Amino acid sequence: MILVLLLLLPFAAYLAWLVWALLAYPIPLSYNLRSLWQRKVSSLSTAAAIALVVGIFVVVLSLAQGLSVAFISSGRPDQALVLRPNARFELNSSIERDRMRILKVHPLVKREGAEPIASAECVVVKLFPMADGTDNNVTVRGMERMGQALRPQVRLVQGRWFRPGLSEAVVPRKMQGRFPGMEVGRSLRMGGRDWLIVGAFDAAGASYESEVWSDVNDVMQAFRREAYSVLLARLESPERVEGFAKSVEDDKRLKLEVVRETDYFKELTKAGDPIKILGNLITLILTGAAIFAAMNTMYAAVAGRTKEIGTLRALGFRQREILASFQWESIFLCLTGGLLGSGLALFANGIQTGTTSFETFSDVSFAFTITPGLMAQGVAFSLVMGLLGGFLPAWRASRIPLTEAMKGG
Amino acid sequence: MTSDRFDLGGGEPIITLRDIAKSYWRETLEIPVLQGIDLEIPAGAYIALMGPSGSGKTTLLNLIAGIDRPTGGSLEVCGHELNGLDDDQLASWRNLHVGFIFQNYNLVPVLNAFENVELPLLITGASRGERRDRVEQALALVNLEDKMKNYPRQLSGGQEQRVAIARAIVTDPDLLVADEPTGALDAKNAEEVLGLMERLNAEFGKTIVMVTHDPKAAHHAKHQIHLEKGVLDKAVEVNR
Repeated sequence: MILVLLLLLPFAAYLAWLVWALLAYPIPLSYNLRSLWQRKVSSLSTAAAIALVVGIFVVVLSLAQGLSVAFISSGRPDQALVLRPNARFELNSSIERDRMRILKVHPLVKREGAEPIASAECVVVKLFPMADGTDNNVTVRGMERMGQALRPQVRLVQGRWFRPGLSEAVVPRKMQGRFPGMEVGRSLRMGGRDWLIVGAFDAAGASYESEVWSDVNDVMQAFRREAYSVLLARLESPERVEGFAKSVEDDKRLKLEVVRETDYFKELTKAGDPIKILGNLITLILTGAAIFAAMNTMYAAVAGRTKEIGTLRALGFRQREILASFQWESIFLCLTGGLLGSGLALFANGIQTGTTSFETFSDVSFAFTITPGLMAQGVAFSLVMGLLGGFLPAWRASRIPLTEAMKGG
Repeated sequence: MTSDRFDLGGGEPIITLRDIAKSYWRETLEIPVLQGIDLEIPAGAYIALMGPSGSGKTTLLNLIAGIDRPTGGSLEVCGHELNGLDDDQLASWRNLHVGFIFQNYNLVPVLNAFENVELPLLITGASRGERRDRVEQALALVNLEDKMKNYPRQLSGGQEQRVAIARAIVTDPDLLVADEPTGALDAKNAEEVLGLMERLNAEFGKTIVMVTHDPKAAHHAKHQIHLEKGVLDKAVEVNR
């Protein structure tokens, strides 16, 4: 972080100086804007290249943002998952029935009347064909009745909830487009049985939108599981999670691990790391190309306006004012591209997609999420491109010997 | 109309050149352009610098205007020893004391007449209202108050040069330097521009140093100074 700040410091200082130069001794900005417009073919093609890069940059960020939304909105700070020690994820965990019985009556678990607000769950993955012809693992979650209450963001949008003992399932509405045959009324083949899809739910962007839900006992029987995977429990308050964890971890009968639900999902956001790395790599390469495009356009602008530069210098404008003027021109060029690119990225907003989580080896559905913050980052990114791409040409413009400039270079 | 001495009339000198030399270097080869120039030009003078191509007249004009620096000697212009000024100080000095008139007008094509004339004032710190008044006055003086919104491409060559003259005088400088100001104009427009320059000298007391090849243009000056192979050859008083 300190390194990043140290790297940004010269940019910030230079930008502050540019603003000061603009206010103190302005070569009119209209001069730069009209000059850009006068060379509209090269200006617009450079702006378009920058728009493309910024658009990709914002879309890549929006993927990571979409994944974060999926995972962060999934958890609550007052809920905890109980897992086998070192399991890290539900899929790797197992809790025998007798331990689960002890856990469910733990005094720190919140109750609704006599019933603990907790759900013993079994999590398995099942390969399903996707609409694009490939196959992908989907998480199948068997849960108890309280499982739905523990996930208040989940809302039934079609049909009804599954009933225990009848091999019924509900599916996320957003999965229906990506996986064929998931319409309500149709059957899924899982664990040697046919499961009737009786409802579709929406989870407001949470990661449950990548899961098929059913009754925990039905799932355990079908998939021949003797043990549960996890217990999800609500506590009286977020502060109680640590006490609950200590109590469970210290209990020699249990020997289990407790993770706050929000922390668990934070760990899962690492599913987006490969996308981020690939996206950043592509963006980095394209950024280099865009900076060179901006630099090339600005060098051509300087070469074509050498005599103008000489005239401005003769009239009394100093080297630093020429530097600032051409630097602003480059910034405007790139900012135009940046605004355009950020605007274009909006078209991706809300588009549903998915990836395979390398943590759970199953599909994670999420939506491209373009926020004003991401768009601002895109515009800021174009500003950096304008600074980097424009600096050398602007420096060249300011350093042309005056007599040479007045002759036209 | 002749005088072989460099007597350019009395009065306080506004330009004093002492043993000025200027050379250019091509790799290790020194090419002398000006040598041993001693000259005093009084305030209010109107000088035509003449001479064949390569005689050094534009170089001399550039030195006087603070565009270039000599390789030897000293020059004092408008009360400032130019050798002692750094690049920034020289730029400010040019803005305050020198107005430029170029052969090809050198207007900025993307700015209209008003904005072109306003350019030098942007450095002076003048307020917006003050700038507007001065630009309007300058454009009125060159009879172009009705062309303020016109871009250079919408003006004739003569009008462009008059806008350039308005830009040269808008800061009310002591000295006007003109490099072939009529070189790109037809006879009628050239006469108009020269008349305007004469008026600036006679009515407003501007000192003018003009480089020209054209004897007709030079005839509008009060004195002609001839250069030959980088040295002052002769000065001639013009009987107008």
